[in-house]
Amino acid sequence: MSSAVVKHATCTGCGCACDDIEVHTDGARVTRAVNACTLGETWFRDHPADSGEPAARIDGKPAPLADAIALAAEMLHAADLPLIYDHGYSTCEAQREAVALAETVGGVIDSYTSRCHGPSFVATQLVGKVSCTLGEVKNRADFLLYWGCNPAETHPRHTSRYALHPAGKFTPRGRRDRTMVLVDVEETATAKEADQFFRIREGTDFEALSAMVALVKGQAVDERRVAETGFTVEQLRLLLERMKAARFGVMFFGLGLAATRGGHGNVGAAYRLAMELNAFTKFVALPMRQHGNLVGSDMVLRWTTGYPFGVSLSRGYPRYNPGEFTMADLLARGDIDAALVLGSNAATDFANVPTIEIGPKLTPMQSGAVPRVQIATAATGVSAGGTVCRMDDLPMPLRPTLTSPHPIDEAVLKRILAEVRKKPAWYPMRSEAQIA
Amino acid sequence: MLTLTLKSSLTVPLEAECLSPDVLAPLAHVAVRALPVMLGKRQHRLDDHFTVEGDGSDEIELRGDLSKVKWIGRLMTHGRVAITGNAGMHVGAYMKGGTIEVTGNVTDWLGGEMSGGTIHVRGNAGQQLGSAYRGSASGMSGGTIIVGGSAGIEIGMRMKRGLIAVGGPVRDFAGLQMKGGTIVLMSGAELRTGAWMQRGTIISLKPLKLMPTFATAALYNPSFIGLYAKHLARFGFALPTANGGYRRHLGDSSVPGKGEILVWQPTGIA
Repeated sequence: MSSAVVKHATCTGCGCACDDIEVHTDGARVTRAVNACTLGETWFRDHPADSGEPAARIDGKPAPLADAIALAAEMLHAADLPLIYDHGYSTCEAQREAVALAETVGGVIDSYTSRCHGPSFVATQLVGKVSCTLGEVKNRADFLLYWGCNPAETHPRHTSRYALHPAGKFTPRGRRDRTMVLVDVEETATAKEADQFFRIREGTDFEALSAMVALVKGQAVDERRVAETGFTVEQLRLLLERMKAARFGVMFFGLGLAATRGGHGNVGAAYRLAMELNAFTKFVALPMRQHGNLVGSDMVLRWTTGYPFGVSLSRGYPRYNPGEFTMADLLARGDIDAALVLGSNAATDFANVPTIEIGPKLTPMQSGAVPRVQIATAATGVSAGGTVCRMDDLPMPLRPTLTSPHPIDEAVLKRILAEVRKKPAWYPMRSEAQIA
Repeated sequence: MLTLTLKSSLTVPLEAECLSPDVLAPLAHVAVRALPVMLGKRQHRLDDHFTVEGDGSDEIELRGDLSKVKWIGRLMTHGRVAITGNAGMHVGAYMKGGTIEVTGNVTDWLGGEMSGGTIHVRGNAGQQLGSAYRGSASGMSGGTIIVGGSAGIEIGMRMKRGLIAVGGPVRDFAGLQMKGGTIVLMSGAELRTGAWMQRGTIISLKPLKLMPTFATAALYNPSFIGLYAKHLARFGFALPTANGGYRRHLGDSSVPGKGEILVWQPTGIA
């Protein structure tokens, strides 16, 4: 096999989607990923050209791809309420086919977003959002507030490439032109980079942020109850003065806000604070999104159905309701009778539901809950091309470096869709007389 | 009187918005049996899932474990629906009038965006009762919801008018972004009660952990409490009017709002 070097490859190891990676391969696997962080390097090395998986498995036994596709189509067509669930590792092109499939089989479609930053979307719908791209952060932001996140470990290049260190148009001296504050429940590795660190008491983010909103608006707050958050009112006032004095302030928040108790309230309070600060200066709030292409999944669902996650198409039109049409809730109540999981490892979550799994790494046979149908595909970004979205919603083209013997997700979904479309429609057809 | 009994338990939820007096009352027995319901994506007949006794009527009785039957009493304007057993999501959503009684438990979105009528649940309720649906500006704008047991998060979210009374404890964010109306919490609430409320009243008989954005005001016995006490006595809820007072807290100052939280304080307790 021949070695090759691909420049400007995009990494999908985390939500940063860095597109300056120089990938070296020996034809079978990635040998080096220059510029990539440890997460990115692992991501590239973990996905060889040939994963060694059979093309497909049915009930745990290797089977021809065509048979697996036919059975998958049959399962989804026969189910009363199938779920299409996206782990967020596929390209936008594949996700678009997944939406078409959900519509054609009359199912519910949801993504891993519902288990991480779903509350951030609910918050956006509650209060609104002021946002920007990471390019603007790099070129303009002189004040960074990280709240409930630890980029040093979850998004290693976030500070070096986009936020804290790079020299930008209006921040020519890089780090020296910026101030960084970290608020978290413990002093993480990120605290080393911060100018100031505040330890907040666990589970009091909503109270602290709401108190800050009140203070920005010149309202009074109860000092004793503020103290329960770990902040004093004076500390909050000083922090707010720094935020107001910034030319362009950015608040990055992570799962410390979104995936803790009252996540949508926590993020809503962060969005409200950013909004209120715009009475004094430019201020935005951005979520630190996770792996792969989860952002793309939300984007595709938004432009096709109007909603970001937790969408039911069982009545032929999209209906959105987190808690009702989200994966964890559907499984907890036992509402669905078939599932298609896009992305690796359907694993134990779907143990009680007949499941189709599509992804580069299939649930191993040793695990107790092997899905009924398993179809191996090429790994997104390594051996499958397409588009992914960065955490600031920007689409990034992929530059695959290897050639996989397996088809890409999009091709498999298209074939399942074509099979389903050969079958009679599930919705009640109107008679000629009714149409007349 | 029309009686419908669920034939067998369900796996996939059944969406049955036809279970409302407005739809059922004018129909004969045969027409009731033929009404469409949706089991997941499949359209079925009502009698595929229910045993139907009697003709269409303003008085409807539903029997069985209906915890997977959604949208009972949707948009109803009159009549009475009595559910003997549990009921699923969205009971009485967008309801305008009439009465719904449930002997068991219900799940989420009870009385979502209702504007009139009465819902009385003897068991527990789920999340977002009387709330606004996601993306909607206002929650319930009238009517009464009485829950004997506990309730989940975000009860009365964005509610504009009407009364919610819950006998058991409720979880976080009761009255989130509330714009008006009254919530009565007989056994208190967990966290963040009245968060971002603009107007409206929350009455709690148990001490609450309040947000820092609420200011504490007078201890008094508002005259309107007597009216609520009289109204709620019919449902077996005793709202005290003597031997103590209600501590008034104002907020939420981050909105800034003119809402009030009244917390009962018996005499002798500072």
